[in-house]
Amino acid sequence: MHVIRDVLDKQIVDRNHVKIGKVDGVVARLRQGKPPRIVAVEIGSIALARRLGRVPGRWMAILATKLGGDRHANPHRVAWSKVRTIGLEIELDIDARETAILDWQVWLRDHIVRRIPGA
Amino acid sequence: MKKLLEISLGVVTSVGGFLEVGSLATAAQAGALFHFQLVWAILLGTICIIFLVEMAGRFAAVSKHTIADGIRERFGFNAFVWPLIGTLLLNFLVLSAEIGGASIAGELATGIGFRLWALPVALIAWLLLWKGTFGLIEKGVSLLGLITLCFVVAAVILKPEWTRVAAGSVPTLPHHDISTYWFMAVSILGASISPYLFMFYSAGAIEDKWDKSYLGTNRAIAGLGMSFGGTISISVLIVAALVLGGNGITQVDDYHQLPLMLTPVFGFWGFALFVASLGIACFGATVEIALQQGYLVAQGFGWRWGEDRKPRDDPGFAMVYTFTLFAAAIPIALGLDPLKLTIFTMALTAASLPLTVVPFLFLLNDEAYMGEHRNGVISNAAVLFIIALGFILAVVTIPLQIFGGS
Repeated sequence: MHVIRDVLDKQIVDRNHVKIGKVDGVVARLRQGKPPRIVAVEIGSIALARRLGRVPGRWMAILATKLGGDRHANPHRVAWSKVRTIGLEIELDIDARETAILDWQVWLRDHIVRRIPGA
Repeated sequence: MKKLLEISLGVVTSVGGFLEVGSLATAAQAGALFHFQLVWAILLGTICIIFLVEMAGRFAAVSKHTIADGIRERFGFNAFVWPLIGTLLLNFLVLSAEIGGASIAGELATGIGFRLWALPVALIAWLLLWKGTFGLIEKGVSLLGLITLCFVVAAVILKPEWTRVAAGSVPTLPHHDISTYWFMAVSILGASISPYLFMFYSAGAIEDKWDKSYLGTNRAIAGLGMSFGGTISISVLIVAALVLGGNGITQVDDYHQLPLMLTPVFGFWGFALFVASLGIACFGATVEIALQQGYLVAQGFGWRWGEDRKPRDDPGFAMVYTFTLFAAAIPIALGLDPLKLTIFTMALTAASLPLTVVPFLFLLNDEAYMGEHRNGVISNAAVLFIIALGFILAVVTIPLQIFGGS
């Protein structure tokens, strides 16, 4: 498997096949004398902004903390051991509702979308 | 039999969806000023869009990815950001122009100024997206769009000298207004080769759950649908050449000059047909482009998307199209000239082509995505040609905007 080609930027779904984002970052642990090991995938705007550069990353972290509180001060990480399958999409053995990843979509739904008739 | 029905439905929807404010305005301007001399630009643009639409559909059917998904996954987020921002901004301008076109139709029909129509047009389009399904939008709106075939009828009734129309399919230099000529050629190409068209098509293929068994259907829809669509644009040009140009109106710089196009052929009904064509074509495009903005953002960031879901199930996606629609209506409500915006935007579209077309070269040749259905020599030659054309257009557009624009 090729991390950059087969993992990074792929669609992620949770165990209920809900689309929760893309693989916005990959966390690897460096090991002495051995190849690095992937320990987690990162999801969310902070991870994405960090890929564009240090400054955008810092700004996005400040913005996310302001809007979402401490739960959103760092990129959302899911341990590599939760990866179930890698195919067209990457399926993670988690329930998105139990994580903070989709908090902002929930907020949008409850505060804006629900208030518009017909939603 | 089922396939045949699917193909005809697909062709009908792409014909109905082909004509929009850009192709209508650029073809009318070109016909009025240069008679049949710019037919070649519509032909060339149509051939290019046939290839791109076929590839977008094939990519979706084989790899189960939309073009946006594919670009992000294959090139990474840092490369994806550029086509993302470029396309979002451009779609926004085109959306504004389409809302402007539909608003002008409202003004022509009622006498109430177009500025007052911008927000109602956006509201109706939004309601359709909020409550409707993909099938309703794709089929319903484009079926109504078949009314634009009235231009084909008018072109035939007017009995143009077909040999001279055919002569226009070969590029020649004009005797007057050379920079305007090239500027119009660029705008026509931009109007025909719209990125939103092939990106929307690939998202539609995913919404309709296409697989490899649809490859034949896809080829037929792309080839026939776009050819018939191009025929409508050429008809607009012919009618404009004979009616507007023939009566001494060579400078089309106001939408109010256009409804006269069909009256010599259809009398009063010509006026009504023109207004209906303009209104429906622009409204249909408004709905599709707003939806495409939602698709693009949702696919780019991996959110839930799908026009058949309820807005509460994919709030991010629903909010993107909601916001874009109303924001795009604002410039028109403030009185920006819809025709100027249209022509400017079409030229800019042509210049932006390399951004969205270069990825095709890689995606469609990637064995991991396409397997045995990779591009052949002809498709690759077509992509390379469109990229080269796009680069040339990008270089010449800016000086032409200054010297040849209206």
